[in-house]
Order: sequence, then structure tokens, then C-alpha cells
Amino acid sequence: MSAAAQRRAAPLSRARRTALGLVLPLAALIAWELSARIGEVPSYLVAPSAIFATTWEMLASGELWQHTRVSLLRALGGYAIGGACGIAMGLLAGIARPVERFYDPVVSLTYPVPKIVVLPILIAWLGAGDASKIAVITAAVFYPTFINSLYGAKGVNRLYVWSARNMGAGPLRVFAKVILPAALPQVLAGLRIGLALAFIVMVACEMQNSRSGLGHLIITAEDSLRFDLMYAAIVAIAIIGFAGDRLLLWLRRRALAGQAIGKEGAHG
Amino acid sequence: MASAVLRAVARWYPVPLVLAVWEVLSRTGAVSKRLMPSLVEIAAAVGAAMDNGDLLFHAGISLGRAAAGYALAIVAGVLLGVAMARSRLFDALFEPLFSFGYPVPKIALYPVFIFAFGLGSLSKVMLIFLECLYPITVNAFYGMRGVDRVHVWAAENMGATPRQVFWRVLLPGAAPSIFAGLRVALPISLIVVIITEMIGESRGLGYYISYASASFEYATAFAGVAAVAVIGFTLDRLLVWLRNRVIFWERGAAFIGAA
Repeated sequence: MSAAAQRRAAPLSRARRTALGLVLPLAALIAWELSARIGEVPSYLVAPSAIFATTWEMLASGELWQHTRVSLLRALGGYAIGGACGIAMGLLAGIARPVERFYDPVVSLTYPVPKIVVLPILIAWLGAGDASKIAVITAAVFYPTFINSLYGAKGVNRLYVWSARNMGAGPLRVFAKVILPAALPQVLAGLRIGLALAFIVMVACEMQNSRSGLGHLIITAEDSLRFDLMYAAIVAIAIIGFAGDRLLLWLRRRALAGQAIGKEGAHG
Repeated sequence: MASAVLRAVARWYPVPLVLAVWEVLSRTGAVSKRLMPSLVEIAAAVGAAMDNGDLLFHAGISLGRAAAGYALAIVAGVLLGVAMARSRLFDALFEPLFSFGYPVPKIALYPVFIFAFGLGSLSKVMLIFLECLYPITVNAFYGMRGVDRVHVWAAENMGATPRQVFWRVLLPGAAPSIFAGLRVALPISLIVVIITEMIGESRGLGYYISYASASFEYATAFAGVAAVAVIGFTLDRLLVWLRNRVIFWERGAAFIGAA
């Protein structure tokens, strides 16, 4: 934002900003609804009102919740395992050079590889059940949490560590009272990237090969041309992804109360 | 000379170590050969797939799709991010779409994309475009917004026109953040191309891997995995190399940071 532009336009008020923000989504929704009513669109574009009705119906019957529960269990199971391993090993690598030296080449070689490639092999080995999906999600979540924890622990100001030592704190105390709090913002940033990945991989796994879950629901609904059902599942996935992210942001605000918080909102 | 060798060994020893553990586990049968075929078998499978041209054919198709979607996302994402950072109207119009849409897994829309764009390459390219658009736009936006005001004022003070300010101050200032976005989006483009090819396609590496493992040819499946790994790693290194050439004034970012 250049200074000249700043002088030209006064800041938009909050209300006007919100109103403007609603313009595009509302226009799209209305155009979609109207064209679906008039019948000018292909059948896969079901009217939003019909999608809403189906979503409501499936919520009431509990069917949507059943699939959501299965999906959530997989995503959160992999997220918990992958996140715990990533944080533990990342922090350890951040404070112990030999550990970092060991992980560095392996992680930097495998980091850019999409972990989803091993899914068919894992399915052949572990079966099409939950285990193969949780394993892939675990692998996908491990990398961002590991890397962010590593850099968080490495980036701790040495002066703080030295002064704590100087004042007689033992290694455990230094870790718990100095390194952990200082690394926390970056650890949480890694957890946030990991959560988004966990949901992407969850949907991908369930679409590829599954007998339950929201991804499976999308594919079967599509196959049987029940487009309203398909959109209900998509809506559920969108809500889960969004709610999970907001929950994590809320936790972060609580955990970092008193610490300076960096960019928030849309920034990954 | 000797010390250089030693240093290389000290840096890279974990890689042969991991491979050796793999081979031992495979040979002794501690882990099923289905999950971990011997490295010798995998190498043979890679050789065979290279010989008959399968691997190169499928890799070329996957790479083409990923590159097309990624390139589109770069153009649209940088333009949109810059527009949102420079104009209050654009910001107010698009910001909610990005802050609400960011954590939503767009991959769930793939079936809709199949109906809209067909079963071929176009639906995959469009989905890659959509998934990559988010990190690129958001990072371009924050990069432009994060440029130090003082730099802009200094340039204006010295008589720079708005165009000059944009090209010589704002864009270079935003470049590190833009490249960070590109680096986040790169593996996403590969994930999406592989997964869409696994779901419904008869060409591409995703298809190749899932077909091979469905027909119990695990070494061949691993040849496909190896090809994806090589592509992902090479592209990432290329991007880092390019970044360090373009942003020559700022070192670092060999690894991915907070993203």
C-alpha cells in the first residue's frame, strides 16, 4: 500500500468491508440457485436450496454424522500420532546436534515427496481399513510438525538459555521453561499446516479406496448420480476443515497468551 | 580432499544407513516383502520400466498436468495477491473467500470437476490450479503488505513514479514471501496430480502405482514411487536454486520454514 494510495482512500468501515466480502459468495449462490431453478445448468449443479435440504435431512437421520465420525477418527488418529512423533523428534533434533544431523538428509530428501504415493502399497499390505489410511496421514503430518518444531527449538535465543543456566537451572528445567515456550509458536504453526494436510489426505484416501467415510460418500453419491448427497458430503468436509482450523487458532491464542502473536487469519 | 570426503560421509551417512536397514528387513523377511521389496528388485523394476518407456511416459503426463496447474496458479495467484494488497476494494471482495476457503480441502470437489471438465487432463489441471492458488495468493498478499513503508516513502521522495515504486521496491520486497508460497504449493501440486490419477485415470504415475500394486507387482509400484520422489525432490531443488538466484540479496531458506 503506497503512501499515495493511503491518502486517497479512507479506510473502509467494518460494516462496509463485511458487506463487500459477502458480494461475491452471495452473487454466486443466487446465480446458481436461479439457473438451477430455471434449468439452464447441467444436472450436477444441484440448487443450493436442495443441497441444504439434503444436508439437513441427513443430519437429522444421523447418516451424515456416521460418515463424519469415521472420517474424523482416521484424520485425528493419524494427526495425533504424526503430530506427537513430529514434535517430539523435532524438538529433540533442535536441541541435540547428532539427532539433527541424522534426520537432516533423510527428511530433506523425502520432504518434497507426496506421501500419498505409498497408499496403494499400504492398502495392499494393511488392507483397505483404517490402518492404511491412518499410516498415510501420520506420514503426511509428521513432516511439517517435525520441521517446524526443529526450527522452533533451534531458533531459541542462546542468551536466554545461557542466562537460565547461569541462574542454576538444570537441563530439564531449561527445556521446560525456556526452550519449549520459545519454540511453541512455531510448533503450533507446524501443527496448523499438519491439520490441513491431514484432512486433504483423509479425503484423498477415502476417495481412492474405502467403504466408509465422507470421501467414500462423495464417490458413491457421484456414481449413483445423487448429486445432492455428494454436495452434502462436500459441505461436511468443508465445515470440518474450517472448524478444525479455527479451533487450532483459538487454542493457539490461549497457549500464547502473553506472547506476541504473528500473522493470523488466512496465513498458513 | 580427505576432509571433504569425510564431511560428505558425516552429512550423508544416514541415507545409506536407512537403505541398509531396509534391505536387511526385506532379506530376513522381518517385514513382508509386499511392503518392502528388496532394493535390488526395485532397481531392476526401475530399469525394466525405463527400458520399455512406461515410466517416462507416465511421468511425462503427470509432470505436464502438475506444471500446467501450477503455472496457472502462479499467474492468477500473484496477480490476485498483488491486487488485494494494493486495492481496498479487491481486499474486501476476496479476503473472506481466501480466509474461509484456505483450510477447506478443495480435493473434495474433484467429482464436481470431473463433471464440469471431463475425465481427462483438464479436471486435474483445474483442481491443481485451485489447490495451489490459495498458498500462492495468500503469500503474495502478505509479502506485498509486509514491505517496509519507509522504503516506499524513500523511493517516492527520490522521485520514483508509482510504476517504479511497484517494480523496484514493492515487488522485490514481496519476492521472498512469494517464493515461500511457491514452495508450499509445489508439493501440493504433486499430491493432487497423483491422487486424482489414482482415483480415475488410465495414464500418469498415480495410475501406474495403483495399477502395479493392485496387480501385486510391488517392486514396480516402488519404481513409480521412486519416480515421484525423484521428481518432487528435483523440482524442489530447482525452485530453491531459482529463488536464491532471483533473491540474491537474501540467503537462506534452504529448508521450508513456517511457510
